[in-house]
Amino acid sequence: MAKERKVTLTVPAQAEFVDLIRLTLYGIASKMKFLFEEIEDMKVAVSEAVNNAVLHAYGGEDGLIEVVFTASAQELTIRVSDNGISFAPADDTESASLHGKSIEEIQSGGLGLYLMQALMDRVEVKRLGGTTVTLVKKRSNFEEQA
Amino acid sequence: MLPNKFSLRTENRDGQTVVYLEGELDLEVASQLRTAMEPLLSLTDRRLTLNLKDLTYIDSTGIGILISVLKARHAKSAPFDVEQVPGQIRKLFDMTGITPFLIIRDV
Repeated sequence: MAKERKVTLTVPAQAEFVDLIRLTLYGIASKMKFLFEEIEDMKVAVSEAVNNAVLHAYGGEDGLIEVVFTASAQELTIRVSDNGISFAPADDTESASLHGKSIEEIQSGGLGLYLMQALMDRVEVKRLGGTTVTLVKKRSNFEEQA
Repeated sequence: MLPNKFSLRTENRDGQTVVYLEGELDLEVASQLRTAMEPLLSLTDRRLTLNLKDLTYIDSTGIGILISVLKARHAKSAPFDVEQVPGQIRKLFDMTGITPFLIIRDV
């Protein structure tokens, strides 16, 4: 695993394909010897990114989501992109948890981005002719692999 | 479509309705859970319980459903709790901050 290796998956922007992306992630992260718990964390983070694209990118029209997994010696980078119109409701672009709120105030908006940030080492969201979310997880077993 | 597909089953005990969730609760199956929960929300004289023992996956979609159930039951002063929460799911509950709003039973 000296150089970067890429796997690309393109799926219709529909909810029924989100599990296929999780399964692919599981396979790749297992090959990279990520720990079980790290893989579970990444499953949630990548699903959140794909969910957003399914729900908001194409406004109900057909469209595609491209997921690129890049494995390097140090980390796994997952890039989720769509070519949609990037209209995301305001509550989706801001990260928010439920901490410190009352039951009347709590809502699910913002939880997706919050979880991505909490579960990954780095998260980057770019909106420019579609949305691209880049998620990075460092390999905790890097030392012993090197 | 793939293994770990989501399913749910409802059981009525004395004064209590328990909904058992199994498999992966994601965006694809969210409406299935919402539809199943809808008629149960207004049964205010019964305790409503979600059993998560065999739930293998949840994300903000599923947590969002829990939030709406919590709020609906709270508004009616009707009892709601969750039981047998697996470790990884408990971790996500803690992370998002939903834990303090939930009554969690380990049975």
